[in-house]
Amino acid sequence: MQGSSPVTNAQDFPVASENWWTGRRTLGQALIILGSIGLAAIVLLQLLDAMGATSLGFTNWRPSLYAYLAWAICLGAGQILIRGEAGHRAVFLLPALLFTIVMVIFPTFFGLYIAFTDWNLSSLSGRQFSGLDNLRAMLSDPYYWNAIRNMTYYVVAVFVQYAIAFGLALLLNADIRARKFFRVAFLLPFMLSPVAVSWMIGKSLMEFRFGPAATLARHLGWDSPAFFTTPWIARLSIMAMDAWVWIPFIMILLLAGLQALPKEISDAAKVDGASPWQSFWQITFPLMLPVSVTAIVLKIIFQLKLADIVINVTAGGPGGATDTVSSFIFREYRDRSNVGYGTMLAEVYLVIIIIFVMLMLHFAGRFMRKVT
Amino acid sequence: MRLQHYERLLKLSRRDVLKGAAGAAALSAAGGLTGLSTSARAQSDLRTQMLQIPGVGKGQPTDADWQQVGELCLGPTKANVQQGEFAGVELSFMGLNNQNLHNLLFRGFLKPWEAYTGAKITWIDLAQADYNPRLQQSIATGTVDFDILEMGAPLEGDVCGKGLASEMPDWVKTQIEMDDYVGYLKPPVGTWDGKTYRISIDGDCHTFNYRTDVFSDAELAKQWAAEGGQGEWAVPKTWQQVQAVTKFLKGKKLNGQDLYGYLDPPKGWGGFGFYFLGSRATAYAKHPDDKAWLFDVDTMKPRVNNPAWVRAIQDVIDALPFEPADQLNADPGTTGFQQFLAGTGSMLSWWGDIGSNAKTNDSSVIGDVCGFDILPGSDDVYNPKTGQWDKLQSGPNYAPNMAYIGWGIYVMSRVDSDAKKQKAAWSAAAHLGGKDISLWMAAYPSGFQPYRQSHFNIPEWVAAGYDEAFITDYLKSESDSYNHPNAAIEPRIPGIFQYYSVAEDELAKIFAGGSDAQTGADRIAAAWEKITEQIGRENQIKLYKASLGL
Amino acid sequence: MTDSTSPVPAYVAPATLKERDAARQAKRISARVLVYAALLLWTFISLFPIYWTITTSFKTAVNVTQGHLVPWVDFQPDWKGWRSLGLSPDTIGRTSTVREEFLLRFENSIIASVGAATLAVAIGSLAAYGLSRFTYKFGPWRNKDIAFFFLSQLILPPVVLAMPFLVLYKELALLDSKIGLILIYTLMVLPIVIWIMRDQFDTIPLELEQAALVDGCSTWGAFFRIVLPIALPGMVAAFILSVVLCWNEYFFAALLTSTNAKTIPVMVASQTGSQGISWWSMAAISTAAIAPLLLIGIFLERYIVKGLTAGAVK
Repeated sequence: MQGSSPVTNAQDFPVASENWWTGRRTLGQALIILGSIGLAAIVLLQLLDAMGATSLGFTNWRPSLYAYLAWAICLGAGQILIRGEAGHRAVFLLPALLFTIVMVIFPTFFGLYIAFTDWNLSSLSGRQFSGLDNLRAMLSDPYYWNAIRNMTYYVVAVFVQYAIAFGLALLLNADIRARKFFRVAFLLPFMLSPVAVSWMIGKSLMEFRFGPAATLARHLGWDSPAFFTTPWIARLSIMAMDAWVWIPFIMILLLAGLQALPKEISDAAKVDGASPWQSFWQITFPLMLPVSVTAIVLKIIFQLKLADIVINVTAGGPGGATDTVSSFIFREYRDRSNVGYGTMLAEVYLVIIIIFVMLMLHFAGRFMRKVT
Repeated sequence: MRLQHYERLLKLSRRDVLKGAAGAAALSAAGGLTGLSTSARAQSDLRTQMLQIPGVGKGQPTDADWQQVGELCLGPTKANVQQGEFAGVELSFMGLNNQNLHNLLFRGFLKPWEAYTGAKITWIDLAQADYNPRLQQSIATGTVDFDILEMGAPLEGDVCGKGLASEMPDWVKTQIEMDDYVGYLKPPVGTWDGKTYRISIDGDCHTFNYRTDVFSDAELAKQWAAEGGQGEWAVPKTWQQVQAVTKFLKGKKLNGQDLYGYLDPPKGWGGFGFYFLGSRATAYAKHPDDKAWLFDVDTMKPRVNNPAWVRAIQDVIDALPFEPADQLNADPGTTGFQQFLAGTGSMLSWWGDIGSNAKTNDSSVIGDVCGFDILPGSDDVYNPKTGQWDKLQSGPNYAPNMAYIGWGIYVMSRVDSDAKKQKAAWSAAAHLGGKDISLWMAAYPSGFQPYRQSHFNIPEWVAAGYDEAFITDYLKSESDSYNHPNAAIEPRIPGIFQYYSVAEDELAKIFAGGSDAQTGADRIAAAWEKITEQIGRENQIKLYKASLGL
Repeated sequence: MTDSTSPVPAYVAPATLKERDAARQAKRISARVLVYAALLLWTFISLFPIYWTITTSFKTAVNVTQGHLVPWVDFQPDWKGWRSLGLSPDTIGRTSTVREEFLLRFENSIIASVGAATLAVAIGSLAAYGLSRFTYKFGPWRNKDIAFFFLSQLILPPVVLAMPFLVLYKELALLDSKIGLILIYTLMVLPIVIWIMRDQFDTIPLELEQAALVDGCSTWGAFFRIVLPIALPGMVAAFILSVVLCWNEYFFAALLTSTNAKTIPVMVASQTGSQGISWWSMAAISTAAIAPLLLIGIFLERYIVKGLTAGAVK
């Protein structure tokens, strides 16, 4: 799954040698050391300034940001100079890695700190460190655990979405006419903004008295099509709306994957006389597993963050039946300004999801090794 | 004026435009406003002239109209500020964009002001749902990047409580003629902790909207009597009657349409949903002898689980089975705009908007069969001191709910360090809160309701071209509520919306059948206590008392 | 392969062959009918709500509440929604604050979305190539862990990043700036790009690069000239998804922007509040907001086509 086949080979393959002058290593090392010193110095100065020990007149932390950029460039160049080919390979990864680190390092640690404080934004005393109080409150919070239970239902729905999306991707991959039209048409639902989806579909289309969906339901025999007033029907309605928006996302990933499949293999299968069904299960599906896993993992992560539709259409109702963890945290964090507690809820949720996703990837990896 | 009111008035008044124009001419020709001094006459001429922009029945006001009105009303500013006095000053204004009004309207009004004074204003528009969180988070992280703020009065606890608002200078008080405000907007509501910070631009209260056709139907009257209904078949005046009518109407039809009685919004709405339970409860919980109705004044002990509130919650539980099948998913936006206005339900509490949105189209569903009144009262009222239910000498107890109190313009204290900037900011705010310009805002779509005594001068409206019968009805229900001696006003303490939000969550559970009224109310009270503890009880008590004027 | 379970005689008569051909033909036709039926059904499901949104922008209040479906049949179209935006025929010539506001936000949305998507695809593709082809080791962390690190940035619900990012951006003076928005959107979509592109690169056989490297090409050369063109479908898919996700992003836009970098989603949400629901305005803005995405989709769709692998291996 991690592309184990290409990796082992690329590393060992000899690259055309280049003419290096001697001392490039020292130059590289010097570059890195210089950049690091510069960065450390500027950060230190800004810290001292912020604490009031010096007054150099820094108005914001931009200098540190620029120093970091300079350091990153030095690091990259240094890597190339010192390690040659291996340095080049490192430089492929460095931009994304360094970018992510600089963007998230502060929010991650600050967020973690907030999670252990009692911080109500309206309180005059501000942040108060409260240790494990938030954790204890969370363990006995009925709304939170109700939401977590709902999330398990929502996650199961992802697999249904995946099946439908795969079907659509296969259809679009086939030899059909007006393919461009169908592809763009199927992509449109994903483009509609979530606010518009909540209102136009959830509140207008599915409106009880005159919405087209309700009228259709009445034609089909359902006398009182209240889509959001009984727990399970409300959940199914939310899942339907979410599916409508996100199936194009999964579909486009699978389609790109299908397009990248070597044509020879499916041709060979046809020559062998395999039926479409067999060729799918024994050839296409296994080959598509890596892409499928990515698509499902990404979609599950987005599903676990589902909030907009729920907030706008049912506000977590009826009686908490459709409440998601994210929409509950939304209410706690934004409407009640209970920032410390809300952050703790989210951090615990993060840990749960990380464990869940790791397990999923692990089992998916095993499954794929078995199949391929 | 709210957009919907205006459109309704347009419908009614189109045929009266000629009458109005003639009336205005007659008024000025005959010196109809005799007895006034020349300056007052000039001012009333100004007001008449202003109300003709763009003119009733001439379509929705445009940018150009807003700028014209702003230009016309620059008089008070010119008296206090020299031309170009604020050249080089930059101000930033944070407010709402609600249906492309509010801030966009202010832009138009302030353009002439900017031209005259030389200052420049940049705008921050927020959606209503983001307003409170953004404000709280900006304050907490010290990213207050605005100088002037449009804010709802309940949030004063958080802004003024942290010393972030600038105190109103006396010249502003004179310029905006604060004595003209209606009763409930004067101190103590007009001040916070004894000081004046707010330039009011709006008044807010819940009124009772009902279907006149339902309550004047002879057939229904017969059935009402036949089924043992008490008294005449008429618009309910008390909540007890509302409950009875709601139960009666389920299953009945009028002109082939299913009928329903009162519409409750059981779903939360960012904290605003709590006002609707409040409207049901104030008649039970607000005793004329007691200023408080949500918390005990000396201890901040919540009253939301006292017998009065529990009775109100029980009323909702009792009424829900008789309301439409999808009512559990109805938030106030739904009950108002998707149900009542589309012909479902015959009684509703809401802000002033709803009742008049009857005629936005010739083939509208409820036509002009809409009436309004102050909120129903109650035959008996709970006395928190004695723990008994009292029957008042004067009859049923009425306690209109001044929900949300009203929008206001505030200046942030960060301008105080710069005298020129401070004067500029207050001048801009005062321009928007001026007496004459506010009449225009009351009369045309703006998002704001009348809030000054001078707004209730019926002849002015008629001269402008509005239908007299309708405008009298509309203004009367508002002024009766605003000036009511037993009006229920919410506490402007820090975090008030947190209390509402947590109550909404619990109420949603109660209404979905999760628990009975008393247990649920006790849980709300417990949650409120936790919030009070978290925010700081002593401070809350102090501020609660100050907001009540005690 | 036989279609039936009964034993087939060694010699097959022509008549049976023809029947078999006919049967196969019929199966093919019915298969195609099913395929098109499924496509049309899903097209209806996909497009009906969009159609509903577009027609709502031409409705008045009554039409909306009564659920009228077909313009000119059920209801008379009205320019009300577009007029409220300043985009109807009668207002398009005059000055309109609303329209200026809308166009400013539109422009900012384009800059933020396209900027972030481009940046993300650029650095994300590089990183994905590295994770796919090379073995990295930073202490105990291998490729798998690094990839997971990127993925974990997606997991935290943005709402709790509100305060930390507010403070961070305030300190870096990035509040209300287009650059700031681009940076945070890039952070948001980078994991998606990396994971998508890694799968793409994994499916490209190594022989191609090996051939190029033998010929004297550097690693960079092999990447840019050989692999990238083949991975184009994946890149285009990632780009489109990134643009859409950034375009519709509401939360950080509402929090971190004020006047200079404001985007469209907040304006859509502003069409409803405690004073009513302007369905027509909301529908009009949503329709206008979806238009550029639609154009991007139409324009870029042709790149999500079969790669050039077919002939390349030779």
